[in-house]
Amino acid sequence: MTTMSLANSLTDTSEDVRTRPPLILGDNDFASVTEKVCRVVETSKTPKAWWALFGLSATVMTMLLAMIGYLFYTGVGVWGVNNPVGWGFAIVNFVFWVGIGHAGTLISAILYLFRQNWRTGINRFAEAMTIFAVICALVFPGIHVGRVWMVWFLFPIPDQQLWMWPNFRSPLLWDVFAVGTYFTVSLLFWYMGLIPDIATLRDRAKTKLRETAYGVFALGWRGSNRHWQRYERAYLILAALATPLVLSVHSVVSFDFAVAQLPGWHTTIFPPYFVAGAIFSGFAMVVFLAVIARSIYGLQEIITMRHLENMNKIILATGSMVGYAYAMEFFIAWYGGNPYESFAFQNRAFGPYWWAYWIMVSCNVISPQLYWFKKIRTSIPAMLVIAFFVNVGMWFERFVITVTSLAADFLPSAWGMYWPTWVDILTLVGSFGLFFTLFLLFIRWLPMVAMAEIKAIMPQAHAHSHDPHAEREHRVLAEAVR
Amino acid sequence: MPPVDPKTYWRSLEELGDTEAFRRHEDNEFAELLPEDLPAGSRRRFLQLMGASLALAGVSGCVPHPNNPTWPRWPKTKILPHAYRPDGTDPGKPQYYATTFEMNGVAKPVLAKSYDGRPIKIEGNPEHPASRGGADAFAQASVLGMYDPTRSTGPARMSGGETAAPWSDFLGDARQVLRVAERNGGENLRILAEASSSPSLARVRAEWQQRFPRMKWYEWEPVSRDAERDGTRLAFGRPMRPLYALDRAQVIVSLEDDFLGEHPNAMVHTRDFAHARNPDGAHMCRLFAVESFFSLTGSNADSRHPVPSGAVTQVAFAVAAALANEHHVELPAELSPVLSAAAQHGAHHPFVSRLAEELAGARGQGLICAGPSQPASVHALVAALNVALGNAGTTVSYAADPAGDRAGHVASIRELARDMGAGQVKALFLLGGNPVFDAPADVEFGDALPHVEFSAHLSPYRDETSQKCKWHLPRAHTFEAWSDSRSWDGTWTFAQPIIEPLYEGRTPAELLASLAADRAVTGRELVEATFTAAGAGNWRASVHDGFVKGSAYATSVPALAGSWRPTTADFTWTEPSAGACEVVFRPDAKIWDGRFYSNPWLQELPDPMTKLTWDNAALVDPATARDLGVGMGDMIRLTAGNHTVDVPVYLMPGQARRSIALPLGYGRGFSRRMSERGREGKQGGGFDVYPFRGSETPWRVASATVARTGGHYALVTTQDHHAIPNVDNAMQASGQAQRLPELYREASLEDYKHHPEFAKHKVHHPPLVSLWTEHDYETGHKWGMAIDLSACTGCSACVIACQAENNIQPVGKKEVSHGREMHWIRVDRYFSGDIENPKVAHQPITCHQCENAPCEQVCPVAATIHSAEGLNDMVYNRCVGTRYCSNNCPYKVRRFNYFNNTRHLPAVMKMAQNPDVTVRSRGVMEKCTYCVQRIKAVTIPARNDRRAVRDGEIVPACAQSCPAEAIVFGDLNDPKSRVRKAHDHDRAYAMLAELNVKPRTRFLAKVRNPGGGAGHGVDHGNDHGADHGGGHAASTAAASTGVNG
Repeated sequence: MTTMSLANSLTDTSEDVRTRPPLILGDNDFASVTEKVCRVVETSKTPKAWWALFGLSATVMTMLLAMIGYLFYTGVGVWGVNNPVGWGFAIVNFVFWVGIGHAGTLISAILYLFRQNWRTGINRFAEAMTIFAVICALVFPGIHVGRVWMVWFLFPIPDQQLWMWPNFRSPLLWDVFAVGTYFTVSLLFWYMGLIPDIATLRDRAKTKLRETAYGVFALGWRGSNRHWQRYERAYLILAALATPLVLSVHSVVSFDFAVAQLPGWHTTIFPPYFVAGAIFSGFAMVVFLAVIARSIYGLQEIITMRHLENMNKIILATGSMVGYAYAMEFFIAWYGGNPYESFAFQNRAFGPYWWAYWIMVSCNVISPQLYWFKKIRTSIPAMLVIAFFVNVGMWFERFVITVTSLAADFLPSAWGMYWPTWVDILTLVGSFGLFFTLFLLFIRWLPMVAMAEIKAIMPQAHAHSHDPHAEREHRVLAEAVR
Repeated sequence: MPPVDPKTYWRSLEELGDTEAFRRHEDNEFAELLPEDLPAGSRRRFLQLMGASLALAGVSGCVPHPNNPTWPRWPKTKILPHAYRPDGTDPGKPQYYATTFEMNGVAKPVLAKSYDGRPIKIEGNPEHPASRGGADAFAQASVLGMYDPTRSTGPARMSGGETAAPWSDFLGDARQVLRVAERNGGENLRILAEASSSPSLARVRAEWQQRFPRMKWYEWEPVSRDAERDGTRLAFGRPMRPLYALDRAQVIVSLEDDFLGEHPNAMVHTRDFAHARNPDGAHMCRLFAVESFFSLTGSNADSRHPVPSGAVTQVAFAVAAALANEHHVELPAELSPVLSAAAQHGAHHPFVSRLAEELAGARGQGLICAGPSQPASVHALVAALNVALGNAGTTVSYAADPAGDRAGHVASIRELARDMGAGQVKALFLLGGNPVFDAPADVEFGDALPHVEFSAHLSPYRDETSQKCKWHLPRAHTFEAWSDSRSWDGTWTFAQPIIEPLYEGRTPAELLASLAADRAVTGRELVEATFTAAGAGNWRASVHDGFVKGSAYATSVPALAGSWRPTTADFTWTEPSAGACEVVFRPDAKIWDGRFYSNPWLQELPDPMTKLTWDNAALVDPATARDLGVGMGDMIRLTAGNHTVDVPVYLMPGQARRSIALPLGYGRGFSRRMSERGREGKQGGGFDVYPFRGSETPWRVASATVARTGGHYALVTTQDHHAIPNVDNAMQASGQAQRLPELYREASLEDYKHHPEFAKHKVHHPPLVSLWTEHDYETGHKWGMAIDLSACTGCSACVIACQAENNIQPVGKKEVSHGREMHWIRVDRYFSGDIENPKVAHQPITCHQCENAPCEQVCPVAATIHSAEGLNDMVYNRCVGTRYCSNNCPYKVRRFNYFNNTRHLPAVMKMAQNPDVTVRSRGVMEKCTYCVQRIKAVTIPARNDRRAVRDGEIVPACAQSCPAEAIVFGDLNDPKSRVRKAHDHDRAYAMLAELNVKPRTRFLAKVRNPGGGAGHGVDHGNDHGADHGGGHAASTAAASTGVNG
């Protein structure tokens, strides 16, 4: 059985190590992998599809900037936020994007530490998505405050005018640190991993400009043994640093709600529930983007069905956790005997925002359950639809948590409703413009697959690589040991 | 070393020595910067230095905070101080002047707080018997009326377009007209005045009457208590004014009389009523209300009976019959012929016998009162009943009507309009009022007015009436000029100018006197002359006090004249035909008859019952609305005869079936400046219902057909963002029903006597513990507030008081519709029980100044922090506006500036801002401070004088304005303070205390006195022991969950 036929028969998702094909399919060697990945970046003819998508994204991003300008000029009142509902789309979007930004670091750091080699096909891509999602997320807490020109008060800056520190008891301040740290480490981690590949691009560069540009960012990488040794060590350290951050950042984001005393927010289940939800939505986003990118750039042999299936399994697992959390919230609301809390949850499901709640449940709880079926798990159209639903559902989850709890809290006289304005909606849409603009720039100018890493898990990297059969045995043994 | 030329200057020995090293050094341009010249180990050293400089850069921020003049946030401007300080003034220290505000001919005595010559806050005059410190929303908001940018600034010729003209032009023209008029004794001269009880104006009027003996002087008020005059005339033979002493009453029956709301003497009534209803007093009075609309008084009734206004009349006679027949009350003989018929007519009202029984049981301590919308016959009957029951003389006394000889308002305007239409009026002076807008439709005043050759309208605005006159004349605001007036009880009250007139306005008395005297007569001359002529005592002292002591009307218990012969027609009432409804007009609780239309404070004040802002609506009860197939905001067309009006529906539980209430005064919009304000959203909308009002029965249309127009209109309320009642979602309604008894705790008087601590047992929860040692507030001041829900009537005067005191900006209808109103205190209104006849709960909510404030914990920038005295302080210039604090506030009392609400504040309105309180910018949170500026205004001088702060010395604006004295503020560490006693009271409870927020505001539970064994039952009986396991809600302690008791 050749690897080629494996690819064609789509059985590369087998769990049986004896029949499982290599991670990279097709008749690829180091040179062909380099060629395939670099081709995307080096081509002088940018695909028309790229231009179309980029034009659209950049336009939408410009709209975001216009919305922000209008917001800054006029005031937060251009949004639908009001007295009982002080947080609206901005915070919903923030939590949504931070959640999306979980998959990348999870794939690169945690799966790296667990020696899940299959991650190498998608980690670059997922990490980039993380960085851009966190950038989108960071926009919102920055712009949602009433006096944006004073937002630096949130940072512990020793200043003559202020003469005081921020309030370290506030979860919003923890957010500043948590998301800030997460972003910094994720960025470093991503960049670290990019260095050998940028060096490859530099070495292959045909113009002086490309050589210089990539050369600057390659930081003088020569691929020497010493470089590799230090690189591997640094990568491991950063992975170890990033791993707790994956768990901490969304835990801290969840504290924004959990630490408040509002019924529907004040609940201890939030940290694990938020982290599970974040991984859930993050993986859905990776699947969504990977499916599109691999087909546009013909990378099916590198980002294989196995990758996609593995991610879908994670989506199934985390989706079930999220569903469990929803159920447990209701159970505790009943079991806890707090009338305000039990009302808050009944209100979610049957109050004026019932539609948002049931969109959330059907997208997040029901749709991933379809992944129990392998056919669906490995079907490209199905996973596109489900990944889309999951992201819609997770956005609505944040909407339900944020808005319905605020809209009806303790005193019925103060109950209200929140409806987004056109500025709210265009700002949300605009944030996708920002995300996709950055993403498209990334795939145009940087290798979207970690070439250096992927070569390490190719058969050719191992002894007896000339003998496919022996290689298979070796790998089977290796995996069995792990 | 070479020899040195004595004239050579040298820098160093190296130069002098001209060494090789020096020459190398000198040739090198960047000698010091060469890295090899740095000390060895430079990388390490470099990092050390870099680290140290970074760290020390931070330290540089730690220098003591000077007033850094280079900080460029605010432009520098210079101010001009007084070159010489005026005598007796301390800059920045407010002064209070006693003055008055006249409305409907009744003085509302007030104190004006003035900063450096600019009045900013109106409070009740505590010395005055007609205020005793309370001031209603109208009086308090009148200061904003003075700074109204839409006010007229000068006289104008109105014929052929509006052209400004000087006063001298007008006076010249008018004097010419008067000289002509004088020839025939003023035969064709008319004056139409707003109601006024000013003795000075009366004196000027008398002079005019002397000069023009055939002149006719009319008075018109769209909201008038003329029925009361007519009724007492029937009963006593002359018009009398009933004066209630509610504090002596034990049973009150209100026949559509909103004596707590729209009555001119409502402030005094509210205070007396609160005293009469003290559940801890010897006897708590009981209030019955029979009314068609849901009045404020009705919402405070122990037992309320919604019946159409026409049927109220029927009830009144039926009660009289029951009293005579069953309780042997001796009624005048002339009544007996109709009593049996009256009993029959009222037989279908089951509560009549109860009313009669209660009244008969409280002879001499009962009170029956009737409202202006009831016909004269009811007022006559009420007078007769009060006399027969012995109530007259105790709970009600009568004063001769101060203008007993004048014609009724409706008759006056009808006659005047007829004369004008007939061309008999050559010259007409309109002193105030706005009859073109508010005269009855069938009088067609506006059509007749242009027939008058010379007409001049004295008015604060170039309004509808001015537009149709030949001249508009600006009217001085009451705080700009001297005038006088009488309060409801007759006390002679003075208005003195607090500010130099902003524009060229004059008062009616000044205008008339100046026209007569051929010179500008000042108000002071007039008032002082009247005072001297009356020999009323010390002028200075009276002006200082604001009134003449002991000048109230003489009261008496007049004998019944015995000439009134009621007939069955007086109380015959037939239900409106199918598809038709009765329509009852009401003065609006906020803009009255329309005169406060351009006052944004009042427009944005939520109506005490409907919570509507910026609009009026047809108030329809839900069952009738269902029959009509209309819902909230649906437009309906009312038709009666040839009058129609289109109005939106507001579903009002407790409104009598098939009786629609229409608040007056809306739907104006007469000038360019007003419409400009309208575009900013600072001008009201609403619907003009005057065109539907006839002169025959001005308060009521017996039958009007109702039809849907199919349109819809967005009504905006500050509460209930759903349809009636509060929620249209069954799940939310049940959630609300479950929690409200815990939030608003109430019991019947019987249950309260049986179980005095009922309020503390409504919520039980586990012991409230803290994870840390909490701040100890036991030394120094510990500010607290108590709000007695039994006393609060929901009148909303506190809302305006707070708005004026704390520079709270109105935001306009659109923003209110988004839930962005800024009021720091709100009066929550809940309905309970039967939707046809619900009970009402009014609950004022402000910041509770929680000791464990949830807002403080979550603010990332520490912009809201606790003071050592336990106040939850808000630091505006620290706030960045995350709104997290508001989200975490369980009472939702924080208010956020979503826009820059002061940016487009007209310059003149800026003068109304209180200089003691920061005007907030866009993007910051704000909230009640317990009036921290007032606390500091007392504690700082007290500390300077080394004395303790006396209880009651500090009065927040809401507490000051509260006519019921429901709000008490003070130091909880003072064991003798009123607030301490209130907090320790049996009825005291802290709302949501189970969250362990430790609120500093406590409520005293509401006690109702329905009597008749109509107790609600309390959760716990007498056998309820002390084994609660945990603390009570009102005791201090905390876990974050509350367990239902």
